[in-house]
Amino acid sequence: MPISWLLLTLFGLAALGFWLGQTRALKSANGDRKALHSLPSYYGGTVVIWTILPSLTLLIAWLFIQSPVIEGFVVRSLQSETADGDHASSLMMADVRRMAAGLEIISGAKDLEQNIINYSDEGLKNFQDQLSANGIALGSDLTPEILTAAQTYLKLSDTSSFWMNLVVCVVSILGLAFGVFRSNKDFRARNVVERGIMMTLICAASIAILTTAGILLSLIFNTIEFFQLYRPIDFFFGFEWAPSFSGRGGNSLLGVIPLLWGTFYVSLIALLVAVPIGLFSAIYLSEYASKRVRAFAKPLLEVLAGIPTIVYGLFALLTVGPMLMRAFGDETIGLMSGGNAVITAGLVMGIMLIPFVSSLSDDIINAVPQALREGSYGLGATQSETIRQVILPAALPGIVGAILLAASRAIGETMIVVLGAGAAARLSLNPFDAMTTVTAKIVSQLTGDSDFSSPEVLVAFALGTTLFLLTLALNVLALYIVRRYREHYE
Amino acid sequence: MYDASHSDSDVVSREYKISARGVDVFYGDNHAIKEVTADFDDKTVTAFIGPSGCGKSTFLRCINRMNDTIASARVMGEILVDGEDIYDPQVDPVQLRARVGMVFQKPNPFPKSIFDNVAYGPKIHGMARGKAELQDVVESALRRGAIWDEVKDRLDEPGTGLSGGQQQRLCIARAVATEPEILLMDEPCSALDPIATAQIEELIDELRQNYSVVIVTHSMQQAARVSQKTAFFHLGNLVEYDDTGQIFTNPKDPRTESYITGRIG
Ligand SMILES: Nc1ncnc2c1ncn2[C@@H]1O[C@H](COP(=O)(O)OP(=O)(O)O)[C@@H](O)[C@H]1O
Ligand SMILES: [Mg+2]
Repeated sequence: MPISWLLLTLFGLAALGFWLGQTRALKSANGDRKALHSLPSYYGGTVVIWTILPSLTLLIAWLFIQSPVIEGFVVRSLQSETADGDHASSLMMADVRRMAAGLEIISGAKDLEQNIINYSDEGLKNFQDQLSANGIALGSDLTPEILTAAQTYLKLSDTSSFWMNLVVCVVSILGLAFGVFRSNKDFRARNVVERGIMMTLICAASIAILTTAGILLSLIFNTIEFFQLYRPIDFFFGFEWAPSFSGRGGNSLLGVIPLLWGTFYVSLIALLVAVPIGLFSAIYLSEYASKRVRAFAKPLLEVLAGIPTIVYGLFALLTVGPMLMRAFGDETIGLMSGGNAVITAGLVMGIMLIPFVSSLSDDIINAVPQALREGSYGLGATQSETIRQVILPAALPGIVGAILLAASRAIGETMIVVLGAGAAARLSLNPFDAMTTVTAKIVSQLTGDSDFSSPEVLVAFALGTTLFLLTLALNVLALYIVRRYREHYE
Repeated sequence: MYDASHSDSDVVSREYKISARGVDVFYGDNHAIKEVTADFDDKTVTAFIGPSGCGKSTFLRCINRMNDTIASARVMGEILVDGEDIYDPQVDPVQLRARVGMVFQKPNPFPKSIFDNVAYGPKIHGMARGKAELQDVVESALRRGAIWDEVKDRLDEPGTGLSGGQQQRLCIARAVATEPEILLMDEPCSALDPIATAQIEELIDELRQNYSVVIVTHSMQQAARVSQKTAFFHLGNLVEYDDTGQIFTNPKDPRTESYITGRIG
């Protein structure tokens, strides 16, 4: 039974439970709605909660636990024969999984005994060809062991899903029975529904938090692995970034400082562009523009935020880079040797960030109470005096928040850097030089033939962790500034 | 040649602080103030009373051109302050508002320190040379706002941290600091408790020594306590304007009488 059928069954049971709960509660009150503690639908709701929540939780848990457990079995049976390292067995496991999928496709029914597959080399070869014809390619030649393992895998999966279906249905029915049993007129169904809803909301929040934790953990484990292969001091304080690619041999230099510098420099230029332009347009839109201009200009500005960053990257590569070349290149003052430069990426990224700064700041400025404006005008202040001395200070925490948000965007931006700033890791003060950033290097270290045991690839995780800590620190700083300011003025 | 109208306004300037001549105010198509003509004395407290929405605030805000900040508002007619038409294109509304201070219904201190709140106007208008002079200006304004003793040790603390009544007195001090000639108050006590209200009323009585005060109020007792003249507005019309005692004991217009006896809400 596929999962969708199981889910359908659960929902059917829930509907049944809803009706049963309602009916039973009403019956216990002899059909008098007023004698019930809660509205009839709450009784139904309670039963639905009992029917769905425990069984669904169980289902999800089962789905997550099932495959590691089964693979554990299979791997152990394989290992007793090959006794290879972890790495080899994980490759083999991938073959087993592909194999199992192939068996399912080819034989339709998984009636293996009656299949043409026998264990002769000829038969195996035949089978592998058949698999490739169906678009399933194995990593290595098919061996009897793998075939057996795949069969075990399939069998175990079947057993597991059979039991899963059974257990989930039983739990659901038990929940239904329990819920219906408790439905009588004095039962406080309304409060139970309230708690059920709260639990659901808590679950949603925990999923978000747990996912974040999971992402963090995966980053951290790989980072630790990297630091076992490469000295942390050389990473954090290395002034040179020169990875050698596998096959060419030699030692890689993986110092993060040139990349951090590139990130910082590009972000700085981007913010220098985005913050004044964004803030000024926010002030214009919220304080000076007429309603009609505002209704027209604000959405137009926000369109900028909807443009995919790859398009900005193309803009940098094809328009801004050549334009800057013409202005500062060899033909004029010779500052710039190529279109790819920090300034190219910075300018384009700044344009990308304008709507972030302006849209948020505009909302924040609008939220400053009109009473403060009138108070200031009433004292004979002009509009710009009012903005500078009353409105901006009152809106400052929010504006700082907007700027820091833009900064995190700038630090995390990749596409514009790849296409605009170049790929050379360099420590230079000249904004017309090509440089690169942490994110761009993460991409380039992970693309292509990646061997996940070499420091050249694992460094990507260390870079990711560094980046994460950086943005985290930025956010903490933002919170600190906002809080301090609040204490001072509210 | 003898110019009758010119000498007329000369007479006005000698006798009255504020004169309104046929003032109409529109919000879009809404005719909020209709043909209001009245003269207001210097060093007098004038109270505006009337049911909600009758245009008291609108008329008050004409006197310092605060209605300019509302896009849909149109003001017609003449308002003279010291005989000068404040709606003349020559007049800078920003300058005018320094001469005609305003206190609002809800206390609205800026998110700044107490000192900076009061120093705001004097700084903008360059009224103090140097720090010491500014400190003197702030102190005397806070004294006139009857709040100096309460805040003199905490001038650096935020103005928003004061109690409602203190905040309103701070706002009065802030308005007084720019040395206005006229003080407009739009229901200054409606957000305050009775004790704070009593303090503000006492303060208004003192302010009368130096300023002409126009106060909008919902409370007829308050109008009777603090004002010498009272104007009764109804549906945008100035129905009756006379000595406060006269209005409350012997109103001429039946609408005024219904209002003060509680028949018009
Ligand atoms: N900003 C505004 N925009 C449009 N109409 C307004 C505005 N302020 C006041 N009005 C209208 O003007 C009339 C008078 O309002 P207002 O002067 O505030 O009355 P009061 O202060 O006596 O309660 C009301 O009908 C009100 O709806
Ligand atoms: Mg009003």
